[in-house]
Amino acid sequence: MTRPGFVLTVDERTPPLLMHSGESFKLQEFPLGSRVIYPAESLPGLPDLDEAIENALLHPIDSEPLPALLTAGMKLTIAFDDISLPLPQMRKPDVRQRVLEHVLQHAADAGVDDVELIIATALHRRMTADEVRGVVGERVFRSFWPDQLYNFDAEDRDNLAHLGTTDTGEDVEISKRAAESDLLVYVNVNLVAMDGGWKSTAIGLASYNSLRHHHNAHTMVNSKSFMDPRHSELHSSAWRMGRVISEHVKVFQIETTLNNDAFPSQYGFLTKREWEWSLKDQAMFLATKRGIDLLPTKTRRRTFQNMAAPYAVTGVNAGAVEPVHDKTLERVHQQQLVEVNGQTDILVMGLPYLCPYNVNSIMNPILAACLGLGYLFNMYRGKPLVREGGVLILDHPVPWEFSMLHHPSYVDFFDEVLAESTDPKVIGPKFEQQYATDPWYTHLYRTSNAYHGVHPFYMWYWCAHALDHLGQVIWVGGDRRSVARMGMRSASTFADALELARDTVGSSPSITYQHAPPHILSDVR
Amino acid sequence: MTLVKDVRQLSRGWRWSRRRLPPHSAEPHHSFAEPREFPTEWARSRPARAAREVLLRGGLSPLVRRETTTRVEGLDIFDDLEGPVIIVANHTSHLDTALLLTTLPVKWQRKVTVGAAADYFFDAWWRAIGSALVFATFPIERRGTGLSDTPTKLIEAGWSIVMFPEGTRSPDGWTRRFRPGAAALARSHNIAIVPVAISGSYAAMPRGRNWPKPGRPSVHVRYGRPVRPLEDENTLALNARVSAAISALLDEDGTDWYTAARRAAAEETPSSAGPAVANWRRVWTSTAGPTVRGGRPKAWR
Repeated sequence: MTRPGFVLTVDERTPPLLMHSGESFKLQEFPLGSRVIYPAESLPGLPDLDEAIENALLHPIDSEPLPALLTAGMKLTIAFDDISLPLPQMRKPDVRQRVLEHVLQHAADAGVDDVELIIATALHRRMTADEVRGVVGERVFRSFWPDQLYNFDAEDRDNLAHLGTTDTGEDVEISKRAAESDLLVYVNVNLVAMDGGWKSTAIGLASYNSLRHHHNAHTMVNSKSFMDPRHSELHSSAWRMGRVISEHVKVFQIETTLNNDAFPSQYGFLTKREWEWSLKDQAMFLATKRGIDLLPTKTRRRTFQNMAAPYAVTGVNAGAVEPVHDKTLERVHQQQLVEVNGQTDILVMGLPYLCPYNVNSIMNPILAACLGLGYLFNMYRGKPLVREGGVLILDHPVPWEFSMLHHPSYVDFFDEVLAESTDPKVIGPKFEQQYATDPWYTHLYRTSNAYHGVHPFYMWYWCAHALDHLGQVIWVGGDRRSVARMGMRSASTFADALELARDTVGSSPSITYQHAPPHILSDVR
Repeated sequence: MTLVKDVRQLSRGWRWSRRRLPPHSAEPHHSFAEPREFPTEWARSRPARAAREVLLRGGLSPLVRRETTTRVEGLDIFDDLEGPVIIVANHTSHLDTALLLTTLPVKWQRKVTVGAAADYFFDAWWRAIGSALVFATFPIERRGTGLSDTPTKLIEAGWSIVMFPEGTRSPDGWTRRFRPGAAALARSHNIAIVPVAISGSYAAMPRGRNWPKPGRPSVHVRYGRPVRPLEDENTLALNARVSAAISALLDEDGTDWYTAARRAAAEETPSSAGPAVANWRRVWTSTAGPTVRGGRPKAWR
């Protein structure tokens, strides 16, 4: 029986609580009366994944079965989520491999020759061959890489198709191959409620020309939150674009959901409720923490990045995009939704080592901010966990460190743009075009493994709702220079952070700690 | 943070020295593990018994007599009594167990065990080992998780058992409702119950104190005639007789044997549950200690 998530009130029996802090973790003591939101335990995985996939393909929602849609001589395109999902990377075989193999088997049975597989990277970095092999598996990789299995290129003007505009005037420009196919199959990993639906195709296969309509400060401030598609302007825009796409190409959406098994069993203490830690868990915590802290930075990073999650697949749904996504959201909510009564003055979060954009890379300050103020702050439904004008305390070292391979434009963004202004509404109009069209960044995006030049702006826009809502952001243990550059404050300890927060929320604030990962979607009443 | 600090944080946070408890608000979401009975057979082995005799006679007994003024009455009942029996007493202080074990005749002392609350005396390994060795305790679950078969095994092996049927120490010095466990055990094995009245221990060392008050406060231990199960008597009736016997002994302690006997015959024994008055008055009365009759004259008046 899976125990649901719940809200703990810290009392004298509560042990110190585990808190992630970049490439480390620690035990943090909280004032009595603080609330702690715990995620639900992992839902059981599907007993027979192959059977579940086959069942979804043969009995899709509001669609003909996949074999009926496949004919010899047709043009079939299969797109799938890139390395930004799931987090951490899942243990092999990846669920995308399992689904792709079933889809391709049906295509082979139907005699389809013209098949292309596109990694829906949008403006993300290109995946390396090894990374692609890891996701799709050896059979698919050997059969299609590199000519028929490739990273989407949003700057390849010849291979983009402008499908028109939405009724609100948004350009819909996506991969030409996908748009001109007889059937577009999209294979998704729906880790959180933000993923999936029309966001898969309308964003994953889109160019800057299309993305700029919703990846901006205005949209993000009006997405409350972007983890709740029904109240997200970002999703409304993607859905409008999706309807334009559906007028041009038939989309067969396959969505998968995962449980909360984010860490290998030997690191069970990372997901166990602290008061249930056995002596072995306590020893493992101590040994792991001590061991990790002794490692050189690069080795420590590699150790964390190599951690593969033993995720189990909890659902596979296929068919028409919107009804499939409704089913998917139900399943995601079943795993992640936790009811929380009322907002808090201070919200506390420990940021882990990983966000969607630093897989096999460095979590630079902008990504750390995006993870905390973007992703985790927005993990709510209803109202934000923290009240308007409240304080967000984040625990992360925020090192002034960038990957020159993956994040070249981030360096300049941090040095030049944030030095001038940290207001997303100001920097967008002033600098975005310059970065989006910079030939050197574009070259690196297309030929190397760099994120697109405009990507750091998107990360900063991701924070726009939180920056607009909060009274103060304090980083515990954060590099003072990095934090100051982002217009925020740093504190040496959690106690110091609470002291700093007094300026904003008074001397007896309510405190809530979001005990994640694994993911929690707070349903704030 | 040093390794030592880390270890100290773990030991404090996870209550290494005590039974681990979930936070109150987590209890509805916490599945409690079925409690495992702490093994105490070793405490009844020959070496442990020898060690206990040394500890009781050489350590605890002199200590009790040094810290309190103990008066023991009624030990003659053991002269023609064969074990095993169940020794039942009212319970107001941690001192009670020590008083019973140190006042029992040596022959009985060697073959007696004490039922102790598993959630208190067996919540940490060091406390469990200590109480099993010194007081020959065995754990009794108070939370209704099922009856242990340990008491039955002990009686079958010839061990007498000390039990406090109130289940916990009285918060105000007066007796509380007797639970029928001891009576049920006596009935099922057809053995006698020896009622014992202890007075003054609440005044000497109430809840919250771990050492008797200074000034050698008076404590009285009065053993009563064994109460044997009658044929056709149910457990509740036997339990009521035991409770009445202890009330009569407490009455005797405050008056004299004949007065208490006459009151008992007329069913006029004052209730040991105390008067229905404000709590502070109940505590006030209890903290006065037992009435000392025929004691030594005070040095000055």
